[in-house]
Amino acid sequence: MAEEFDSPVDIATDDQGLPGVGQLIVAIAVAAYVLLLWNAHALAAWTDGLEPGPLSARAGAIAHALADKTAAAGMDAPRAALHDEWERVKAARWPGQTDPDQR
Amino acid sequence: MLFPTLDFGLFFLPVLILVWTVGQASNEWRKIILLLASWVFYGAWDWRFVALLIASAAINWLLAAQIQRRLDEGQGVQPWLGLGVAANLMILGFFKYFGFFLEELAPILVAAGFGRDLPVIQVILPVGISFFTFQGMSYLIDIARKKTAPASFLDITLLMSFFPHLVAGPIVRASHLVPQFQAVPRLSRGMVAGGLILIVWGLFKKAVIASELATRLVDPVFFDPSAQTGLDLLAGAYGYAVQIYCDFSAYSDMAVGLAALLGYRFPRNFDQPYRAASLQDFWRRWHISLSSWLRDYLYISLGGNRGGIWYICRNLLLTMLLGGLWHGAKWTFLIWGALHGGVLALERLWREYRPAGFPRLPTPIAVLLIFHIVVVGWIFFRADTLEGAITYLTQLAQLRPGVALASPLMCGLIALGMAFHFTPPGLFAGLARRVAAWPAPVTGLAVGFAVLIIDALRFEGVAAFIYYQF
Repeated sequence: MAEEFDSPVDIATDDQGLPGVGQLIVAIAVAAYVLLLWNAHALAAWTDGLEPGPLSARAGAIAHALADKTAAAGMDAPRAALHDEWERVKAARWPGQTDPDQR
Repeated sequence: MLFPTLDFGLFFLPVLILVWTVGQASNEWRKIILLLASWVFYGAWDWRFVALLIASAAINWLLAAQIQRRLDEGQGVQPWLGLGVAANLMILGFFKYFGFFLEELAPILVAAGFGRDLPVIQVILPVGISFFTFQGMSYLIDIARKKTAPASFLDITLLMSFFPHLVAGPIVRASHLVPQFQAVPRLSRGMVAGGLILIVWGLFKKAVIASELATRLVDPVFFDPSAQTGLDLLAGAYGYAVQIYCDFSAYSDMAVGLAALLGYRFPRNFDQPYRAASLQDFWRRWHISLSSWLRDYLYISLGGNRGGIWYICRNLLLTMLLGGLWHGAKWTFLIWGALHGGVLALERLWREYRPAGFPRLPTPIAVLLIFHIVVVGWIFFRADTLEGAITYLTQLAQLRPGVALASPLMCGLIALGMAFHFTPPGLFAGLARRVAAWPAPVTGLAVGFAVLIIDALRFEGVAAFIYYQF
C-alpha cells in the first residue's frame, strides 16, 4: 500500500534528449573531469591522509603528479584566487570592531 | 563517512555505477547492492552497530509477520504491537538514556542513604539510532492500522539501513519507500536535475554557511556566554538559528538528492520554516518527517484532537516534551520541548477563546514573533547545560556594549540564510526544470564548477552534522 507524498524531486519534464541514466552518467563524468583538472590538489591531499601502504603510495604518486601538472598549467589559479578573496572577506571587520583573538 | 567529503564521493560513485549496471539486470540484486553499501557506510563509524541495525530490522520483520497473522485471523494485535513498540523503545532507551538515568539516579541513592557507587558503563550512542528505531515503530503501527503490508526481510532491512537517510533522516516510512523498492526504479531527467541541484545546494549550505557560522561565531559564543558582548550574543543566537537550518536542511537536501540519483523519492523535510506565522505552521515546515511522525504516532495515540480543548493542550504539551526528550536526555531539550508545547497549546487556546472581532497580528509581525520564540528555544537546544542557557539569556538581556565575533561576513551569512526563507516557493522546481532541459555535458560543467567554487569557500575540514548526535 503506497502512500502519496510530496517529494522535492517530483519535477515534471518533457524528457527529451538523453534518458535519465544517460544524463546522469554524462553529467557526473564531466563534473568529475572538471574537478580532476581544476581541483587536483584536493585529490592529492586526500591521498596524503590514506593509511600508508603500496596501493596508497601509488595512488598518492599519481594524484600528486596530476596536481603538479595542472598547477604548472595554471589550472589551480582560479580556485586559489577565489579562496584568497574569501579569506579577505573573512578577515574584514566593522569599524572599531575588536579582533576576537586580541580580546 | 560524511556526505560533503571526498571519502563519501568515492564511496558513492561505485555504488551509483553498480546500481545502474548490475542493478538493471535484477531488482533484487539492486537492493542487495544498496544494502551492502549501506552497511559499509554505517560500518565506517563502527562495525559493531551494523549488527544492531540488522537485529533491529529482524525484530521488526518477525513482529510484523505476527501482527499480520493476528489481523488475518481476526484477533487483537495489541500484545504483539506492544511488544514491538517496547522492543524498539528499549533499544533506543538503553543507548540514549541509560547514562543519563545512572547520572541522575546516583545522587538520589546517595541522599537516600544507599551510598554505593553505581557501576560506570560508558554507552556509545550508535549514529542515527533514533531515526531507524522510529522507522521500525511506525512500520509496526502502520501494519496494525492496516496502512501498509508486511515487507520481505530484504525490503525491511533495506528500509531501515538505506544509507541516504540512515543517520539523520528524513524519517522515511515503509509506506513511502517499500513500494518503491518493490518496483524497478526509473530515473527521469527531472530527478537527475533535482537530485544534482539538491546535492550541490546542500553542500553549499553545510560547507560554507553552517560551518563558517559554527566555527567563527556560534561555538565561541556558546562556549562562554558570560565573556561575550550583547551584540555578539544576539548574533550568536540568530547565527545558531541559521546554522541549524543550513546544517540540517543541507543533510536532508543531500539525502533526497542522493536517493533521487539512485532512483528513489524521499519526502520533503523542510519548507522555509522561518517564514512561519504561527508555531503550528513552523512545525509544518521544520523537520516535517519528524513532526508528522510525532503527530501520527504519538499525538494521535495520546488522543489527538479528541476530548475537548484542555485534552488537546495536554496532548500538545506531552508530544513536544517527548519530542524534546527524543533529541537526548538533557534538561535543555526538555525545556525546549516544553517551550514549543506550551506555545502550541497557547496558540490553540487563543484560537478557541479569541474574542470575536479582536484584531489579528499582521503577518510580518507574527513571523517575527514566532521566529524569536524559536530562537529562544534554540538557545536551550544548543546550550551544553541548563546553566549555560540561563547565563546566555541573562547576559543577552544585559546588552554589554561592543562587538568582537559578529564580523561583516557572519552578519552577511545570517542575512543570506534568512533570505532563503523568503524566495518564491516555486524557485527550486523552476530551476530544476531548466537544468533538466540542458544537454548533459552542460549540466556536468555547471555541477563541476559549482563544487569547485564551494570548495574554494569552504571551511577547512567538515564538522559532523548536528543531527548525527540524535
